[in-house]
Amino acid sequence: MDRIVFESVRKVFRHRPALFNWVGRERGGETVALKDVTFSAASGEVLALLGPNGSGKTTALKLISTILLPDGGSVRVGGADTRSDETAVRRQVGIAVASERSFFPRLSARENLNFFATLDEVARGERAGRISDVLGDTGLEEHAETLVMKFSSGMYQRLGIARALVKRPSILLLDEPTRSLDAATAARFWTTIRRLASQGTTVLVATHNFAEGAAVADRVLLLHRGELLADRHMRDGESADGLRAFYFGLTGETDEAQSTIHRAEAAR
Amino acid sequence: MTSTLDKLRAILWRDLLTAIRYRSGFVLSLVGILIELAAFYFLSRAIGPGFRPDGVEYFPFLLVGTGIYTFFVMSAQAFLNAVQEAQQTGTLEVLMTTPTPAVELLTLSAISAFAGNVFNLFVYFIAGITIFRAAVHPNFLSCFLVLIFCVAIALALGLVAAMLQVALQKGSSLLWLIGSALWLLSGTTFPIQTLPRPLEMLGRAIPFSYAIDGMRMALLDGLSIRAMAPTLAALAAFSVVLVPLALAGLSFSLRQARQNGTLSFY
Repeated sequence: MDRIVFESVRKVFRHRPALFNWVGRERGGETVALKDVTFSAASGEVLALLGPNGSGKTTALKLISTILLPDGGSVRVGGADTRSDETAVRRQVGIAVASERSFFPRLSARENLNFFATLDEVARGERAGRISDVLGDTGLEEHAETLVMKFSSGMYQRLGIARALVKRPSILLLDEPTRSLDAATAARFWTTIRRLASQGTTVLVATHNFAEGAAVADRVLLLHRGELLADRHMRDGESADGLRAFYFGLTGETDEAQSTIHRAEAAR
Repeated sequence: MTSTLDKLRAILWRDLLTAIRYRSGFVLSLVGILIELAAFYFLSRAIGPGFRPDGVEYFPFLLVGTGIYTFFVMSAQAFLNAVQEAQQTGTLEVLMTTPTPAVELLTLSAISAFAGNVFNLFVYFIAGITIFRAAVHPNFLSCFLVLIFCVAIALALGLVAAMLQVALQKGSSLLWLIGSALWLLSGTTFPIQTLPRPLEMLGRAIPFSYAIDGMRMALLDGLSIRAMAPTLAALAAFSVVLVPLALAGLSFSLRQARQNGTLSFY
């Protein structure tokens, strides 16, 4: 059974300029963040939402987590509709957002996790053990008692992932999860993700990193300006370059990074 | 399953730890209370003993008026700050992904804020009575009942402040406006009978005037529950109507913010 069902989902952000905006340059209008996007994800699948900035990846994750509500279509999580049964949805979903500072700065890492675990309705007797587990999984054991205002960007990022994991969600949403992580921590993190998937957790990763998508995903959803261009099963051994070529072939855009590399090689 | 009591404990613990770790804030707020009381004390001396609003000395009149007024405004401010901080740090969106409904979360947070504000109110009254010798004749049961209704009305005001912050992202300006209107209309520093008739009528239609009046009757005049039954009934009616309305308003504004994608705007 599909854990996540996106059916013809449309999301529009309307811009309403401030009152008395004669001197400002803000204009009204709207941005269509997602245009009739349809896809589903099964138990134990790892999906990468791949696309450039503004393609709608984060919006899709926010719609699944009920932070946003769709303007058209429906989003169902474990059979529950995000519009009408948000509590049932929230019990299943853990999200690690890209925003680094979404913690209480004067609490330690352990105290923050305990606070969010309580609101996530993790049973009291299980909290301490789970918190120790996720601190271990994210390499933060040594910093468990440090006030998070003293954390680096990478540590915030790891704590965000720990917070998403502590409720043991059946659906895990990750927004640019390795953006501030060093290579070793990122590798360990992906191992954890694959282990969770093998235990039945559905994982959605929003990323613009082709290497990341190729390394970890079972399927890649290519998003471009709010449209789902392709829903591609990753073949064994498919490389990041293959995925990259496929993406630029679909969009018709120029791969600036590759062009720069080719120009540099030609110049040598 | 986690109970509401368990969540309340987690919120109280978070706020206690945060308050302790902002070491100087607690001491500074106590000093602020003493300075404010000193200013009101000398103001009442400058005006002289001839001015006896509602038949009581001016300093105790001011003590109750400004104490309750500050309690209302600080309680609303606490809600506003909770929402603003959560918007600025990004915790609001994350909190909205937990199974704990946002309204329950905010209300539980408010209990923590109210505990601090009730403590400050006690310190304010006790300092006014012991240091500045305000003459009081308290009926403690009446005082307790009025305080309960004050908390309910402050809860409604706080929920409205949170709703305005979520809906308009400018809750602080509106709270300033509401605070100024309350200062004028609720009899904080002078009896509302002094106001022009239309403003006096307006003053009599808002719950804050009843709360301030009620506390003056209970603390300064020592009126029994029976003697102040009409005021208590009015406060009860305001509480029963305003709290559910404010809760519904906040729920609506949060849903609208999720629809419009403005939850984290500030």
